[in-house]
Amino acid sequence: MSVQVPARVLRHWDYPLRIRLRLWWRALAELGYELWQRPFVLLGGVVLMLFILAALLADYITVHDPTRGTLLLRFEPPVWEGGTWQYPLGTDDQGRDLLTRIIYGTRVSMAVGLLSVGISVVVGTALGALAGYYRGWLDEILSRFADLLLAFPFLVFAIGVMAFLGPGFINLIAALAFKGWVEFYRLVRGEVLAECTKEYVDGARVTGQSDLAIIVSEILPNVFQSVFVLGTLRLGSMIITEATLSFLGLGIQPPTPAWGSMVASGRNYLMTAWWMSTFPGIALLLLAMSINIFGEGLRDILDPRLKIE
Amino acid sequence: MKDHEPMCQCANVPNVTLKFGALVNWHIGSLGKPMKAIKILERVLATIPIMFAVAIVVFFFIRLTPGDPVDIMLGRGGTVSQREIEELRQQFHLDKPLEIQLWYFLTDAVRGNLGYSYIRNRPVTDLLMERLPATIELTVGSLLISLLVALPIGVLSAVRQNSMLDRLSMAGAFLGISMPGFWLGIILILFFAVRLQWLPVQGRLSYGIPLQEITGFYVLDSLLTGNWRALENSVRHLLLPSITLGLAVAAVIARVLRSSMLEVLRSDYIKLARAKGASEWDVVMKHALRNALIPTVTVVGLQVGVLLSGNMVVETVFGWPGLGRLVVEAIFNRDFPLIQGAVMLYAITFVLTNLVVDILYTYLNPKITL
Amino acid sequence: MNRVHVILTSVLALAIWLAACAAPTPQVVEKTVVVEKPVEKIVEKTVVAERTVVVPPTPVPGRDALIVALARAPAALDPNDHRHREAETVIRNMYDGLVTRDTTSGVHLEIAESYRWLDEKTLEFKLRKGVKFHDGTEMKADDVVFTFERTIKPNAIEYPQPHTAARKGLIEPLTAIEKKDDYTVVMKFTAPWPPALQMIVHHQIVSKAYVEKVGTKGLIEKPMGTGPFKFVSAKTGLEEVVLERFDAYYGGAPTLAPVGKACVAKAVFRVIPETSTRVAALLAGEVDIITEVPAELVDTLKKVPGIQVKTVPGTRPLWMEMNVNQAPFNDVRVRQALNYAVDKDLLVKKVYNGLAKPLGGPLMPTNNFADPNLKPYPYDKTKALALLKEAGWVPGPDKMLVKDGKPFSFVIDTQEVTRSLAEALASMFRDIGIDATVRIWEYSVLRPKLLAGERQAFVGDWGDSAFDPVGHMEAKWHSYKEGSTYGRGNFSGYANARVDKLIRDGETENDVAKRKAIYYEAQKLIYDEAPAVFLVLPEAIEAALARVQNWQPASDSRVNLHDVCVK
Repeated sequence: MSVQVPARVLRHWDYPLRIRLRLWWRALAELGYELWQRPFVLLGGVVLMLFILAALLADYITVHDPTRGTLLLRFEPPVWEGGTWQYPLGTDDQGRDLLTRIIYGTRVSMAVGLLSVGISVVVGTALGALAGYYRGWLDEILSRFADLLLAFPFLVFAIGVMAFLGPGFINLIAALAFKGWVEFYRLVRGEVLAECTKEYVDGARVTGQSDLAIIVSEILPNVFQSVFVLGTLRLGSMIITEATLSFLGLGIQPPTPAWGSMVASGRNYLMTAWWMSTFPGIALLLLAMSINIFGEGLRDILDPRLKIE
Repeated sequence: MKDHEPMCQCANVPNVTLKFGALVNWHIGSLGKPMKAIKILERVLATIPIMFAVAIVVFFFIRLTPGDPVDIMLGRGGTVSQREIEELRQQFHLDKPLEIQLWYFLTDAVRGNLGYSYIRNRPVTDLLMERLPATIELTVGSLLISLLVALPIGVLSAVRQNSMLDRLSMAGAFLGISMPGFWLGIILILFFAVRLQWLPVQGRLSYGIPLQEITGFYVLDSLLTGNWRALENSVRHLLLPSITLGLAVAAVIARVLRSSMLEVLRSDYIKLARAKGASEWDVVMKHALRNALIPTVTVVGLQVGVLLSGNMVVETVFGWPGLGRLVVEAIFNRDFPLIQGAVMLYAITFVLTNLVVDILYTYLNPKITL
Repeated sequence: MNRVHVILTSVLALAIWLAACAAPTPQVVEKTVVVEKPVEKIVEKTVVAERTVVVPPTPVPGRDALIVALARAPAALDPNDHRHREAETVIRNMYDGLVTRDTTSGVHLEIAESYRWLDEKTLEFKLRKGVKFHDGTEMKADDVVFTFERTIKPNAIEYPQPHTAARKGLIEPLTAIEKKDDYTVVMKFTAPWPPALQMIVHHQIVSKAYVEKVGTKGLIEKPMGTGPFKFVSAKTGLEEVVLERFDAYYGGAPTLAPVGKACVAKAVFRVIPETSTRVAALLAGEVDIITEVPAELVDTLKKVPGIQVKTVPGTRPLWMEMNVNQAPFNDVRVRQALNYAVDKDLLVKKVYNGLAKPLGGPLMPTNNFADPNLKPYPYDKTKALALLKEAGWVPGPDKMLVKDGKPFSFVIDTQEVTRSLAEALASMFRDIGIDATVRIWEYSVLRPKLLAGERQAFVGDWGDSAFDPVGHMEAKWHSYKEGSTYGRGNFSGYANARVDKLIRDGETENDVAKRKAIYYEAQKLIYDEAPAVFLVLPEAIEAALARVQNWQPASDSRVNLHDVCVK
């Protein structure tokens, strides 16, 4: 059982609303069943959902201010190491509650991941589709440019971009996305090139559909799957790259809580106030793993070719 | 209006290959050996203009980035005279317009002179060549570890799809890409080197172990000179950094291998092989794996690029005297010649690696026919 | 699902255990401190970390070499052509100079037997007899003359391309040096130069015959000097430098005991840039001495049997400079208020673990001309608020200060290394109602902006390794002029004509009493006008294995292995 037939149907507006709703519901039910068959994936999804909830409800479930602390409470240990329940996971080097910062940090980390991957996907897919469909000089220029970008080691590039643009959240996203789009470009271009050879494209052109319509409605849905796989992989890695950039001093600005910068700035205290770096690291680990597991599982479910036997 | 170039690979190769975007449309199998050799030569020669293109882009990029190398060199503290500042600017040609600087750089570069590092005052080529073996050794080590981890995981989880083994090992593989490299590195050091004292903390070789350097690759040199103490010592030093880098790459390779194995295992010729009575081991290892390796090889090639960038962080954490650390320092010091030289080197490596991947690809492909 | 749960939970537990086991379990000592706010009682706990390193660090048995871990690689080993403390550290174990410095700031004769000023601008050195280079030749006046000429003559260093020696800037006033006889040299300066001897410490003597024979390239590949150690080998671009004891060493500075050849037979300098790795290397017994230990780790390290930790006042004082040409800092009352608003003792205690000294003014307390009567601005919130009120800043409805409807908010720029300090300052300012935030920059990107007056506040240090206002004040507190090096570190835009004149006068005034007067006046002016919040002088912290003896960190970051012994 797999869930691809309803998708195609759902795109055609000719079917009446009632039937389309029925089919949506059926699709969801099938999805649910598939997930139930894969408890790991389900767990991944649940953890992901918990993180999203934490990000949305941060203001309501926390007590302390994530950006304010007092020096007197610097490096309070977690509650089981002699700390208090007031600061269950301890405090950091400025006396700020770690649990609160981790919860608020979900927002920043997810924003970094989603924005950078989102931009990469949109830009990369658009350019890749255009290059793959039209070929010619557009393809040449874009592909050469993409090769050039790929040849740069990422950190060299990131440091340069951050120095150029200055520190800050938007600039960080820009640096991450500027290198990220190339992968999606290559991927989509390759796929579009392959899809172009198939009959249905010729068929669509014969029926008089415009190029843009062909690209969007016929080709892209088939490409969507690989993009989705790569996207979920990159989501986790973008969040981790933010940590690496913080390690070099180029990450999210203080006092905004971001797991990456928390792990990086706490690394020198791993022998004394180890909680400062470890708990954000674990959060990072859980989020990245749940994204990967859930994404991979979802792909398995949605891929008509990879049926469970 | 649009040319639909027939994709010759479409015939027998699983779609998964295309999904991972092969670099070049290569007409496989239809060419004889001499044509292939010429094509390879073509590609190798093509690296030169690419290198120069990269160099020119970097040239402008770093000079337009804020930060003055002379300021940085003179530091914060101590007496500095105006004379010194002006002399340094002259020496580095920084007082001349950009086009002139570019001209100097290009005319030197074609003669093989990549300039002198501002900070270390030595030829850039010397500095790069000195550190290249260390970085290559680390990359190779990481690649080995990642293959060691990824190949079994990929194959086993595809063969036993959706079993507990599949799920656990994929989850384990994901562990590698879910942690920042420097964090994993530091934790490994604290645990294995400080706590257990099983492995060394940093560096390539302990002090006091004599080793005659022939190639610059310590493991290789100890093998060549029969120096078993050095061999053991250098491998022990290579372990933790390689694991740190390798685990991240292993995850990606395992995923790709798993999904392409899954696809291959469902294809017709595998069913045919099974029907013919071939043993499961043969089916999996001889037929399926070989085909599944095709897109995997492409990805491995791309990951070499990732390894080269990831090197910087791991080299810093483990005190590994490689290119990565040199380049990061150079960037923060705005050491223009060194940055330019290093990026050119990375570009060549990247292009050559892709070439090797494509060549490997052609060897793997013809074996499909059954 | 049960199985899955169990497995995942155990994996998680394993991960936490792994990380936690790598760190010590802290012991908590409770101490109740009643703070100003009557409602809250903050329980202050001092977390005293216990060691959990199961195995005390043991160096490899039979390791006869003393291994020192540096934080940065020495760029090159040419005594006349380098700019970094790391290079100087390694070089000064292989090369001696006319004079040297002890671990605080005293100057002692080394290769020179005596000196005297012939007049205000002429300095004569009499050289010691019997000082041998590592190749056995004797050091004579020719070598000294050659060394300094190599340093000051334009384009005297021919490798890799002709350029002027980097050390020339440190001895700029020297115009000529002459040999009077085989053991006497005379130096001529352009003007009276008070810190002359302190600055000559930073120049080491090379062998004329050797350099003429092998050239600069040969010199940096195989250094050869008169120091207690001779060069053996170097790996991969100075990542590891191996030195060996020079048995025919003349003994070193007679006023610095012990005199004689070096104690250890072999010494090795290694480069470990990452702090945690450096400390880990010490804990694993892989290195003997490490430099640049972060203050937070001192307590933990002290508790490990087999490790000793030593500190010495550093030479990199810290300030928060405020842009005096822009609101809100163009009002001196505001700047003074901020000085009163910072609890320096708390900073010292919490951020530096007690290992720092508050600054009493623009100069660090160990500077030879620091005014001992200038006390650091005391922590006085009431006074701060009063001054701010005078300047027109009053608390608004949310307790934050406002003036003419605009809130008092500014950005503190700094680098990653001083992030903790900047954040602590920001929270202290927020306590009195100022909305301060921190922004982390790469220094090279930030500096031009600071000099152009585009930023508001900057937390940073400025080195003062000569312990003399010259080399420090003209860079930091003199007004900035483009095209001149005066004020090249003046990030506050401070420009006081009187201070400028005083600084310039002090550069050429030899009389110590007159200099004191000049600099005391300059310091008081700067103190009162407060272009910066004067913060702290952190201590330099080094750590070593227990088997290392006679080792003492030096203020100027030099690691001097002459006297160090290994048990």
